[in-house]
Amino acid sequence: MKFGIFYEISVPRPWTPGAEKQVYDNCLEQVRLADELGFDQVWCVEHHFLEEYSHSPAPELFLTACAMVTERIRVGHGIIVCVPEFNHIIKVAERTAVLDILSGGRLEVGTGRSATWTELGGFGADPDETKKTWDEYVRVLPKMWTNERFGYDGRAFSFPERAIIPKPVQTPHPPMWVAVTSPGTEIDAADRGLGSLGLTFGGFAEQEKKIAEYRRRIQLCDPVGEVVNEQVNTVNFLFCHEDVKYGGEVGQRLAGTFSYMAAQLLAAREAYPSRSYPSLGLLPQLRQEAAGPGDPSGLPEGLAIGDPARIIEVVKRWESVGVDRINFLLNAAETVPQQEVLDSLRLFAAEVMPAFATTEKVA
Amino acid sequence: MPLFGSLDTGGIAGVPVMADLHTDPLTIERADSLHLLHEIESAPMLDLIPPALHPTVPPTVSVWGWRCQGTEIGDFTVVQVRIGCRAGVRPRGYLLACYVDDDAAADALSARWGFRRDPGTPKLETMHHQTVVTVEREGTTIIDAALESPESISGGDVQYVAGMHLAETPSGPRLVQVDPEFTFHRADRGKPRLHVFDAAAVGDERIVPSWPVSSSFAITDITLPALRYVCRVDVPAMAGTEPVR
Repeated sequence: MKFGIFYEISVPRPWTPGAEKQVYDNCLEQVRLADELGFDQVWCVEHHFLEEYSHSPAPELFLTACAMVTERIRVGHGIIVCVPEFNHIIKVAERTAVLDILSGGRLEVGTGRSATWTELGGFGADPDETKKTWDEYVRVLPKMWTNERFGYDGRAFSFPERAIIPKPVQTPHPPMWVAVTSPGTEIDAADRGLGSLGLTFGGFAEQEKKIAEYRRRIQLCDPVGEVVNEQVNTVNFLFCHEDVKYGGEVGQRLAGTFSYMAAQLLAAREAYPSRSYPSLGLLPQLRQEAAGPGDPSGLPEGLAIGDPARIIEVVKRWESVGVDRINFLLNAAETVPQQEVLDSLRLFAAEVMPAFATTEKVA
Repeated sequence: MPLFGSLDTGGIAGVPVMADLHTDPLTIERADSLHLLHEIESAPMLDLIPPALHPTVPPTVSVWGWRCQGTEIGDFTVVQVRIGCRAGVRPRGYLLACYVDDDAAADALSARWGFRRDPGTPKLETMHHQTVVTVEREGTTIIDAALESPESISGGDVQYVAGMHLAETPSGPRLVQVDPEFTFHRADRGKPRLHVFDAAAVGDERIVPSWPVSSSFAITDITLPALRYVCRVDVPAMAGTEPVR
């Protein structure tokens, strides 16, 4: 089991001068500490226009800053919105290569397609097309990284042969993932040999079914890259405190705030009738799980909140259903004071990480 | 935390009076349903919904027409104008204006589910190349909205959100949650065209549709349900939601 941290970079109103910088500074301080404590990876999303929920339109810049102030932690650029109106694929290939170079080969690349009308409409993207363009991106991107020169004549984009430079330092190329929220995307991931970057919180039974199907299908995959990345990465909330009651209260406030903000966005499914978006994506799951059925501690099933003993139980359960990595969301709208976030990370590293042998504690 | 509405509901005319919140469901078989969604300019968005509700990001207005035949409250056409919002975490449409072409049906919809009735005559017309809803008031068209160039989709791809209807109830002014169920027989989508939208006539001249989002047409059974929840207008829905007992 490997542990990481995960950023939406949510900034609560009022957006006074310096408010956004303070949140970014807090996130960087957390990343530095996580690196020292032995966390394996830091992920940062790409979102646009999502007021309060996520002020992270340029994760490659944040992750470059992370790479500059850390030594070991891997940087997860994800997900990159694989829709031409958002990101030209040549720019994606170039900037990921540069980030891999600057981070010393620590890049992980997450792919996806956006699930809100707020974003799709803002960029003038056609919701019917996003799954198709994503498919084309993940097939072409590895070729752009690995061929000295490359040209392409496709459906969503075409370009003449060019030297797409620089190249990533990882060989054959950085690990690739796809965000899994809509039903069936875990199959898309498996069939293409991509890692499953789960973006749902909690819910063991549902995840166990998806993971089993992913493991079965990926054995038969036709990989889009030069390597198969058979790994299941999921996200969770983290608040770890010596007092299970206090840890649970703060953790539930964190989860509730995050879910509440997410619910204010206009889901693609809600706004635009399309087979391309068969569910509301992340949002209903968040609501259900943040307030969902409790385990014997009275806290929502599957959430890594409470004291170290409870969190160890939760993580072991995730391990048992087949999860390889967990990335933790540490804050939402700064609802948890920065010092408590840092203390939570330290306590997790001291008391929880040692229970999972494959995670090396450095500090 | 998200923004809250600031609409003062005390000054709103024509609020339905509901003497009793207990009603039997009503199923309308094979209704024609045309729904258009547009983004609106954000400047007035907080003034369009009461403090119980949050605006969506981005704010929206929808025009939703039903043509209903052979129902237990008669044949009627209704056109609703709704502002997209959230009651806590739930997607909702706040009913800003509503037009009904039949007195008996209007009375039933008002008394049992809190649909307001504004002056105007609605009409829904289906053609092969488009479906149109219009509302006329004193010889002037105040709404003319169409789905053009229809293409078939699955009914499962269509999602309607529940309504929040301002009504005077035995407990005082409340937002009545109306959460119909739908059984789709056919569905299309197409290009939304809002040819006329007289914002002042509809209820607030500051509503400016700024960007078309979607339009869908369906033939669907609609079940207007027994009411389950109402909500105070003056406090967040998370705190002010009350079950109908």
